[in-house]
Amino acid sequence: MAIIERPSTDIAAPAVATPGTSLGGFKRPMMESGWKSWLFTVDHKKIGIMYGVSAMFFFIVGGVEALLIRLQLAAPEGKVLNADVYNQMFTMHATTMIFLFAMPMAAAFANYFLPLQIGARDVAFPRLNALSLWLLIVGGLVLNASWFLGGAADGGWFMYAPNSGPIFSPSNGVDFWTLGLQIAGVASLIGSINLIVTVLNMRAPGMSLMKMPVFTWMILVVQFLLVFSLPVITVALVLLMFQRSYGATFFDASAGGDPLLWQHLFWIFGHPEVYVLILPAFGIISEVLPTFARKPLFGYPFVVFSGASIGLVGFGVWAHHMFATGLGPVSVAVFSIATMAIAIPTGVKIFNWLLTMWGGKIWYTTAMKFAIGLVLLFTVGGLSGVTHSIAPSDTQQTDTYYIVAHFHYVLFGGMVFGLFSGFYYWWPKVFGKMLNEKMGSWNFWLMFFGMNLTFGPMHILGLQGQPRRMYIWTEARAGEGFFNLGFWNMVASVGSLILAVGVLIFLINAFYTWKKGPDAELDPWDARTLEWLATSPPKAHNFDRIPVVHHLDEFFHRKYEEDTATHTMRKVADGADLVRAEEAAADAHIHLPSPSYWPLVLSIGVGVLGLGVIYGVPVMVVGAAVILLASYGWVLEPSVAADSELDPPSGDGHTKEIAPLG
Amino acid sequence: MNRRNEQTPEVKMETNPTPKNRRGRRAYVALAAGAGLFLTGCASNAPQDIFQPKGPNADDINNLQLLVFPIAGVVGVIVLGLATYIFMKYRDKGQPIPSQAHGKPIVEITLTVIPALILTVCGVFTFRTIFDLAKTSDTEMVINVTGQQWWWEYDYPVQTEHGIKTPIITSGQLVLPVGTKVLLRETSRDVIHSYWIPALNGKKDAVPGRINLLRLEADEPGIYAGQCTEFCGLSHANMRMEAVALSKEDFAKWVANQQAEYAKPAEGTLAAEGETVFLNQCVRCHQVNGQKKADGTAVIAAPDENVYSGAAPNLSHLMSRNTFAGAMFDLLSESCRDDVWKAKPEEFGAKYLKGVTGECLNEAKLRAWLRNAPALKPMYADPTKLMPTNGKYRGMPALGLTETDIDKLVAYLLTLK
Repeated sequence: MAIIERPSTDIAAPAVATPGTSLGGFKRPMMESGWKSWLFTVDHKKIGIMYGVSAMFFFIVGGVEALLIRLQLAAPEGKVLNADVYNQMFTMHATTMIFLFAMPMAAAFANYFLPLQIGARDVAFPRLNALSLWLLIVGGLVLNASWFLGGAADGGWFMYAPNSGPIFSPSNGVDFWTLGLQIAGVASLIGSINLIVTVLNMRAPGMSLMKMPVFTWMILVVQFLLVFSLPVITVALVLLMFQRSYGATFFDASAGGDPLLWQHLFWIFGHPEVYVLILPAFGIISEVLPTFARKPLFGYPFVVFSGASIGLVGFGVWAHHMFATGLGPVSVAVFSIATMAIAIPTGVKIFNWLLTMWGGKIWYTTAMKFAIGLVLLFTVGGLSGVTHSIAPSDTQQTDTYYIVAHFHYVLFGGMVFGLFSGFYYWWPKVFGKMLNEKMGSWNFWLMFFGMNLTFGPMHILGLQGQPRRMYIWTEARAGEGFFNLGFWNMVASVGSLILAVGVLIFLINAFYTWKKGPDAELDPWDARTLEWLATSPPKAHNFDRIPVVHHLDEFFHRKYEEDTATHTMRKVADGADLVRAEEAAADAHIHLPSPSYWPLVLSIGVGVLGLGVIYGVPVMVVGAAVILLASYGWVLEPSVAADSELDPPSGDGHTKEIAPLG
Repeated sequence: MNRRNEQTPEVKMETNPTPKNRRGRRAYVALAAGAGLFLTGCASNAPQDIFQPKGPNADDINNLQLLVFPIAGVVGVIVLGLATYIFMKYRDKGQPIPSQAHGKPIVEITLTVIPALILTVCGVFTFRTIFDLAKTSDTEMVINVTGQQWWWEYDYPVQTEHGIKTPIITSGQLVLPVGTKVLLRETSRDVIHSYWIPALNGKKDAVPGRINLLRLEADEPGIYAGQCTEFCGLSHANMRMEAVALSKEDFAKWVANQQAEYAKPAEGTLAAEGETVFLNQCVRCHQVNGQKKADGTAVIAAPDENVYSGAAPNLSHLMSRNTFAGAMFDLLSESCRDDVWKAKPEEFGAKYLKGVTGECLNEAKLRAWLRNAPALKPMYADPTKLMPTNGKYRGMPALGLTETDIDKLVAYLLTLK
């Protein structure tokens, strides 16, 4: 299904035998508008938007879970949730936020902007791209279905054995969790291979790897992390599934298994996963900071290579999650030092962002504020991270609220702020409308203060000995005086409400913009990278003419030239004019992949198959049958649609046709 | 939090520079207020504060923390200060778009080397401490610690040099002599737990099928709070522990009391009736050493037949402990508890060794526990939901005792000095 440039009259017979028409009586869906055009689309932009919408839905779900947790912990001996529900709540909060919000939201940005940034018309495998999306959604539904089918998973997102076994967690929650994650994992794996191939093969002419935007670079690094780490969690989840459903004993010490086996497998995946979450946000702000500081990223190659080395070293530090498990001093020392080492490339990134702004001309838009918020908050999270790379000191801090504070500074202050920066920066590109900056400012400041009020006090709570994952805390351990742990727990809970209001304002802003927002200019931010050479929103085929790249920050260099005397930049072209010039010089024939039913059908089959593990073999058979049907439909789908299936020429005067590769 | 206050100078640094404009001043005031609030926050005396070491192992860790926290603080202040400076100085004031320079390698290399050097220093000290804390060759006393849902069992093997001539099995409070290098040998009977007394050392997990070692040593007599820190299911939050450090003489007295013969309550007393209730009900799980049946044979509890983990707290000398239900509740009433917890080190031993007397008993809680334990502590104790464990409980079930039975039992338990 690659998009291949070739004249429509000149389609050569493919080397492999492929059917000429739809076999089995199914015609390809051809709708260009309406809900069906979304369900069966293979357009990376529509898929990106659907990723974003589903991720935002799960962000709200996970956020409500977080609010319930803070409500429970606001006062001692909380009565809002009982122990059982609380354990489900914190398990699902983390699982939802990581697997159903953070990863899909990064995938949304990657899907939408990666092809645009490299001057491509779609990803390498558009139907697989759709499959990734639907598998993710099915995985998310399976995970959350557990709430209504006997209770959600209650073992924590880390799901340590043997507490995750059938004896200690007798409800089906962990089964739903295992299967949901397994399905979502397949989705991520397919997506990562797709994006790697896209970046390596489909860059516009002239775009060498070192002229690639940093966002694309970081996404590329993340996809490699996923390709190497997801198989490990896949194995772990299969073992857990067999342990729970078919009586295996991999993690059962009394049967010769080892509970620590799970921890090693989980964290060999789980630590790279941390970088899977944060690097896309790093990529986003590495676009936003240069744009609004009017300077290129300081030390581009250093930022790229530090990103890559964070990814690489990230595979060698997993056991720092296990300093208290009795690994022995040699292992502990090695992992402690490796963990310190990872602070170095991370520090390099922070300094480079600051130096990008040094000497700049900073324009404080909401996108910029969120990007700066990331730099500040991530610095705090990074430094607390250094304090627990010191293994002995970590044995005091681990599993206390100090850790909760640390990773929320990294993940909320870092990742979420990066994603919000991306929302404000790219909203005009995606929807052709400007998010309201005034509401944006409220959005930012409420989230900034709310976040610090929520997670700042958790440093104190943790250092004064409040452990995590406790459904109640007791006054007996809270200390004396007014500023005791009770006070800080209350502050954190109030902060979480402010944070929630901040997020709510974003949702209102999005809704208001959709209904009443002004149309965006073609180049509202005086941006730097290729996606701004397309219209807003981009046409189905992205670029009217495939751009030829000469510079890093190609779009900026088409607009500005350096004044040789003063070394300042002089504007020589208007961004909007450049976009219109591309339209005028559009390519004659543009081929786009056609929609397909099969990714959606196949995903549903996988979901049913998964439920079969819980509900028995007959359900499994149904799922397998649907998968088989969808697979046949997929391979028998004509690589070249019959004339009757072709689109009429579209309104913009170009013919869209199906490229002849599967 | 006295030790934390040594950090004050770095935190104060941020208030010193003279800001050039009002916005800047406001930012500094906010930062200073935040820092002040943070330090005030640390002034409260929380029992699990990790910056209040009370023994050499925790001291070793704290020394590392006193190195790395200030470094992190200083770096943080420098970076945030630099950032604030940049935000103020380079905001758009109509200046031309600057040269599109892509960076300076020498700056990059410097900024890579400096953190590397700082971390190397931290690394050297870390390395040494890791190996110091793993040492076992200097052990003077061994205690086996076993975790299960949701309480800890302490088993003192025979160590005649400490007066331990028969094994002592207890729970709720870990009792150890001061100035003695104690080695805990930890394991678990069900899921992973983690043993943590912040004042004495960092955490060490109790993992089924493994034995993990943890050094503990207390400098002075007192009671040190702890909490299970590996998520272990329903009542993880209620799985607490207390370490009690006694002077060597007091520890010898404690050992002697633990090894004292079983004192059968006198015939015709309420306590004697209570022993009958105990033998009918409690003994299915709970052992009291020295109890005899009517025919003179020893009473052996069978927790393995009734509890999934195969263990229930041994209740011999129950009233020598200050807690019950996995240290979730105090056996002492509030005022008596405060008296022990807040005792000066030199008076602590005598107060602790008094144990729980009738007038100091936290009777309401104990009665409530005997009446319906799962109502106080979430456990898997619902007889209708024990399919996965073949009918075995995880935790103490509601026994359906009458109030008279409870009267008798409380009277009996009070005799277990």
